[in-house]
Amino acid sequence: MENSGDRAWRALIWTWTLAVIVFMYLPALSLFLASSTSSRYFMFPIQKWGLDWWQKTFASLEVRQLFETSFFLALWVTMIAVVIALFGALAFARYDWKGRSAYQKIVLLPIFFPQTVLGLALLLWFNALGLTMSWHTAVFAHLVWIIPVCTLVISIQVYSFDPALEEAAFDLGATRWQVFREVTLPVLAPGIVSGALFAFLLSWGNFPLSLYTSGADTTLPEYLYAKMIAGYTPGVPVLGTVSTLGAGLIVLLGYLAVVLLRRGGSTAKSAD
Amino acid sequence: MSTLAKLFPPGARQALPVLLFLLCGFVAPLLAVIAYSFVPPRTFSLWQPWTLENYVEIFNSSSYITFLWSLGLAAATVIILALICYPIAFGLARVFGRWATLITLLFTLPLFVSENVRIYGWILFFIKNGVLLGSLKSMFGWELESALFTVGLTLLGMVYVYLPFMLFPMTLGVSMVPQQTREAAFDLGATRWQVFKEVDLPLAMPGIIIGFLLTFVLAVGAIVESKVLGGQRIIPITHDIEIAFTYAQNWPLGAALSVLLMLVVGALVLLVLRRFDLDSILGRR
Amino acid sequence: MTAQPILQLRNLTKAFGGLRAVDNIDLDIQEGEFFTIVGPSGSGKTTMLRMLTGMEFPTSGEILLRGKRINDLPANKRPTCMVFQSLALFPHRSVGQNIEFSMKMKGIAPDLRQKRARELMAQLRLPDTYYTKNVTKCSGGERQRVALARALAYEPDILFFDEPLSAIDYKLRKTLEKELKDIHRETGKTFIYITHSLEEAMVMSDRIGVMRAGKLVQVGSPQEIYSAPRTKFVSEFIGDVNVLAVKADGKDQVRSAELEGRFKSPPIPQGMSDGYLVVRPESLRFIDKRSDAENSIEGILYNEYVLGSRVQYQVRVGERVFIVEKLRQQGFEGKRGDKVLIGWDAVDSILVSD
Repeated sequence: MENSGDRAWRALIWTWTLAVIVFMYLPALSLFLASSTSSRYFMFPIQKWGLDWWQKTFASLEVRQLFETSFFLALWVTMIAVVIALFGALAFARYDWKGRSAYQKIVLLPIFFPQTVLGLALLLWFNALGLTMSWHTAVFAHLVWIIPVCTLVISIQVYSFDPALEEAAFDLGATRWQVFREVTLPVLAPGIVSGALFAFLLSWGNFPLSLYTSGADTTLPEYLYAKMIAGYTPGVPVLGTVSTLGAGLIVLLGYLAVVLLRRGGSTAKSAD
Repeated sequence: MSTLAKLFPPGARQALPVLLFLLCGFVAPLLAVIAYSFVPPRTFSLWQPWTLENYVEIFNSSSYITFLWSLGLAAATVIILALICYPIAFGLARVFGRWATLITLLFTLPLFVSENVRIYGWILFFIKNGVLLGSLKSMFGWELESALFTVGLTLLGMVYVYLPFMLFPMTLGVSMVPQQTREAAFDLGATRWQVFKEVDLPLAMPGIIIGFLLTFVLAVGAIVESKVLGGQRIIPITHDIEIAFTYAQNWPLGAALSVLLMLVVGALVLLVLRRFDLDSILGRR
Repeated sequence: MTAQPILQLRNLTKAFGGLRAVDNIDLDIQEGEFFTIVGPSGSGKTTMLRMLTGMEFPTSGEILLRGKRINDLPANKRPTCMVFQSLALFPHRSVGQNIEFSMKMKGIAPDLRQKRARELMAQLRLPDTYYTKNVTKCSGGERQRVALARALAYEPDILFFDEPLSAIDYKLRKTLEKELKDIHRETGKTFIYITHSLEEAMVMSDRIGVMRAGKLVQVGSPQEIYSAPRTKFVSEFIGDVNVLAVKADGKDQVRSAELEGRFKSPPIPQGMSDGYLVVRPESLRFIDKRSDAENSIEGILYNEYVLGSRVQYQVRVGERVFIVEKLRQQGFEGKRGDKVLIGWDAVDSILVSD
């Protein structure tokens, strides 16, 4: 079916896509360039190349505090989200039960919702409950959005899970817990890892929800926002680049993990 | 089987944690917001006589203009993104072959970097002496005005931030068009355009619609783009809501504005989602 | 003289709302026999199997295993094991790990497990080197054997099979059918098998039960089902047959509305007035004159199909088509459009009810 017309279209689509990809990464490029100058202000083309600002940024105690806050926030969010979302995904994709289709729509609602409004609504709610804001409340806020996302990601894996596998294990004498441990979890592992990745990264980079619900604690995105509004600091491009590279690294590692998990468990050993 | 087990089949039991969480974390706050919108302005307690003052104020003030601006910007974003993303979605589903995964990763990556960071990158790009103008100046000696702080750039920022949210559902939709159906259409004498109109578009529609919906709903909640890139040339509704909640200390007004936004979003979402069989879209066998 | 049946079903029923998927079934299965339940899709055979294995629970009725009621016993406690339609092999485990699964659940030591697994692999003709091979890399036939070995490792009293061969190509299926029969003989265990293909059932089974719309229509040996079907449904289930709606007309004669004339039939059962006359294709023959057979009809040769060692002829009689089958050696010289006479003897026909 390939003819010159088809080839022309394919070339067009490739070119267009690559152009859009370049477009997507122009900001990252700009950030990187801005971070590699040693001068105080950003002037392009760069006159003075240098990594001074990288040093200064990472030496700062404030920055380290930010990393800690963001990290623990993301960690807690991931751990809680994955557990709840795993069961949520099983309910979403697998068992046929009466409220399932309504349930599916309800789970999706927080995703199809403007985050700013959600953040403000949570702010209102926490205040009405008399809670003080800190990164703990931010965990809760992140979860409202991230649990549905995580559920969706794991559901995709659950859809291709053959329920007969669990029945077979049960038929072969396993207790319900053994079925879960020996069959359900290992087979769903790639989806669970993907879900955890999404949860961590989305929490790490989240701004609107953190802004309104983290109170006195500051996450990295919040800090960057404040600095952005206030005026130019080279620290911002540095942290911005770190963010991008860090996310890239984690996504790559996660992708490799999922691919390896999918290849199947079997090894040379027979005894488990 | 015990009656409790009959009442709560395994599916329902697994769903409970999620549902309970969403009840406390999503439904409750929204209900609180709705409650607050009926309370007299500039007050903080819920236990007061109910009033419609806040809603009246919205229509009397210019808030409804910002509301329309938000809707308009979001709509423009959706349309522009639809045009940009369809060829890419088509490519991902049919053209790129083994490169598809890598390209998908490349598009996924920006999602994990927070939006304000990415937008800052654009500032560095467009600012005077920034990447774009700086290069033009040093290469050609052109001294141009910065494109920053315009409506156009706000739109650019929004298109940039929400691209993945249009792309991924669209790709899902395009992948639902069976290759053999397209080939059959060609075989029956259809031109490329006709195949697109009669086969590609209708069969990919579920994914496309979801992409539209997701992008629109999220874009309506955008705030950073206009603040930072657009220099507040346009004030979106989210800005008004934020001000009401923070500087103006007028929670009831903020709540009322939020309710209006929620109504629009909620109506759209329910309208669209109710017609879809999510199982078949997401890949159930 | 007959020992207690290993499995007894009494008034077994499964209803979903108003629909009875399994309707009041009574059945005895003998120890060590190969019993196949045959039926079209929707006949309820899968539901019945799932009740016997413990995946579903009956609405009413009893399931007795060696005399003991096991209705409420969950699947993992029953001394039965099933080979699934999709085989349900654990994709993240090797061949050895799959086979050893039930033993691992029972807590048997690794070296004992391995020994038994390798024994079973040898018995099922799986190469010993496959022990560490990932199951997703095995061929279709190999996966069937792994599934069977896995089930046998459980040491069940009864082995259930849910149409495991339905998705395989013809040649491989024929090989596996024979192998299954051999395994049955070697292990001596009770096999209960379900399939929609009567042909498959006839090759392997000691007894067959034909199921339709939740009820067991006929139970008997393959020979009985084939030569003495009791209803039109069962007789048509076998394959191409010639069925004629008839009315009783005397002690051993019937009358057909469609074809003018009376036909000699086998003795008509007491009280039967309406029914069907079934004549198998191989019982029909081409004759030169009407006196060459007890019954004869005239028609036009319409089509000829070569089916390997047999040839099938389609003969148009009025509005209908009759099918005649002959072995290739017995050849019949005739062209399309020829007028022919086909005939059969009463003893070669069967009378069935609806």
